Amino acid sequence: MSDPIPVLRSVGLRKNYPSGDATLEVLRGLDFSVVAGESVSIRGESGSGKSTLLNLLAGLDRPDAGELWWGAEATHKLSLAELTARRGRFLGMVFQAYYLIPEIDALANVLMGARLVGSVGNTERARATMLLKRVGLAQRSHHLPSHLSGGERQRVAVARALMNRPPVLLADEPTGNLDERSGDEIISLLLEVCAEERAALVLVTHNPSHAKKTNRQLFLKLGQLDHGQA
Amino acid sequence: MSWPIYLAVKQLFPTGRVSFFTLISFLGVGLGVALMLVSTSVMGGFGHQIERMIIDTQGELQIHARVPLNESKAALVEQSLKASTAVEAYAPYAAGVVMLEHATKPAFPIIQGFDYDQMRRVIPLERYLTNGSMDDLDDDSIILSSLLARALGVSIGDKVSIYSPLMMERIKRNEVLLPREVRVAGIFHIGHQQLDSSTVLCSLRLMQDLYGLKQSFHGYNLRLKPGANIDATATALNEVLPLGTSALTWFESNADFQAVLSFERNMIFFLLTFIIVVAAFSITSSLLMSVVRKTREIGLLAAMGGRPRDVALCFCAQGLFIGVGGTLLGLGLGFLLLYFRNNVVQLIAKFTMGQDAFEHFYQFSSLPAYTTSKDVIIIVVFSLLASMLAGLLPAWRAAKLKPVEALRSE
Repeated sequence: MSDPIPVLRSVGLRKNYPSGDATLEVLRGLDFSVVAGESVSIRGESGSGKSTLLNLLAGLDRPDAGELWWGAEATHKLSLAELTARRGRFLGMVFQAYYLIPEIDALANVLMGARLVGSVGNTERARATMLLKRVGLAQRSHHLPSHLSGGERQRVAVARALMNRPPVLLADEPTGNLDERSGDEIISLLLEVCAEERAALVLVTHNPSHAKKTNRQLFLKLGQLDHGQA
Repeated sequence: MSWPIYLAVKQLFPTGRVSFFTLISFLGVGLGVALMLVSTSVMGGFGHQIERMIIDTQGELQIHARVPLNESKAALVEQSLKASTAVEAYAPYAAGVVMLEHATKPAFPIIQGFDYDQMRRVIPLERYLTNGSMDDLDDDSIILSSLLARALGVSIGDKVSIYSPLMMERIKRNEVLLPREVRVAGIFHIGHQQLDSSTVLCSLRLMQDLYGLKQSFHGYNLRLKPGANIDATATALNEVLPLGTSALTWFESNADFQAVLSFERNMIFFLLTFIIVVAAFSITSSLLMSVVRKTREIGLLAAMGGRPRDVALCFCAQGLFIGVGGTLLGLGLGFLLLYFRNNVVQLIAKFTMGQDAFEHFYQFSSLPAYTTSKDVIIIVVFSLLASMLAGLLPAWRAAKLKPVEALRSE
């Protein structure tokens, strides 16, 4: 049986940052791929380049060298503006600090995902309501972010990330601001909903127990992904 | 609704309330617009009132003759006036400067002589008469303007002496012409400082005697038919009037005075625009703070597929919405103030110098106001433009933010 086609793939990614007179090599020809419905965790020490890698995979930053494929599209050949136009439909992102828009309620925050790439109609409203129900916030859909707990805000962020049915969801330390119990709940929720939506999950985390719940665990060290170390 | 507009509205009006920033910004722009509207309307009111006074005392058009019009030339002029379909009525006048004396008090007013039976069809002089009667005006009497009568200390029935330039001419020829003693038959008050302090009205016969004009006179005052175009009529008349005579509109006859009025009005308008400019700067400053405060949200929008130009549009739209809201508030406040302007003036007078003293010094008890649609359009366009420009710098800053750096910011 042939290997499934990756929905997200990088080949030989390189990223350097100037550091005084020297150059800091953060990513050194990194290869990475993830298939639909798969979950992959990436761990690494602080400053190892986990967020840099995630930003490159999300097309928020450009690599110095290497290729990045979103499905069959060679994004390394696209301009930043073209990447931005495609990002909203291809990727969902979950951040450590939630980044909900404080002036609008939970439902409107989830719908922002749809607003940014098109218009909002009954179909979108129904999906946003369904997602909020799925993350356990059906009763709180009209609450402002300031009236929600940290765990609830992150649930809204998860629902927002999945709004446009993206094939890939990138989560950058999604439990960093939560207590252990809420963190565990969020990781379980992420894994469940990604599996239900057939979305690939790339989870950057410090927490080994959270990493172990994913299909594949990777460790970023010296600018390369190590498949063996856990 | 596109997301930049949606988000702009939501950031100005978060669910169910008006943000403090929005309220202060609305008030800033609104106060500027209200002040501009009130000041231009009041200035316009004074201008309009003066325009009415000038038309009421001079007619809409005047025919000026370079040299006094004799009988034959006057016949030619009247022929042209009769032929014009726009001219309702006309009356000859003669005008000049004389010296008045009463109880050793001298004054040097402008004197205007006219045939009252003809002039009453052109100028409603009786409307401004405060004492006496126009019917008492004969060849041995005059009507004085109110401030001039006060300065000379005369009242109805008093005698005053008139010295004319003709007397100087006679003295040069070693002849003596005694001053003409006349009776004060009436006092008028127009409400225009210049006219009220130095105008004398008399019969055309008396004026012709004083200036030695015999049967001649200096020109005509004209009343036009309702709806007639003043400028077009003046142009048409100038094409047919005999050589040495010309038709001037009331505006042209008082061009210097009108220029001063217009200059004052424009200066006040110019100075008050700074209120809106200051309000616009405060909007810029608040929106810039908002960009700094929302840096990570801006990064998030980019991460979710928001284009930089849409992010910029979101902040520009906030500036524009503040402009629209502030302008509407300002127009409402301005028209409200204009409606109750006399109550405001009375209140100010009551708490400062008292109603009587106010009327004595400022020569008015009610504040005139005249708002033109052109003024309102200029104020609205300026206010909207200033508010929209106020959003440009924050919008540019927001659009320039790099998503990665924005998301990393503390």
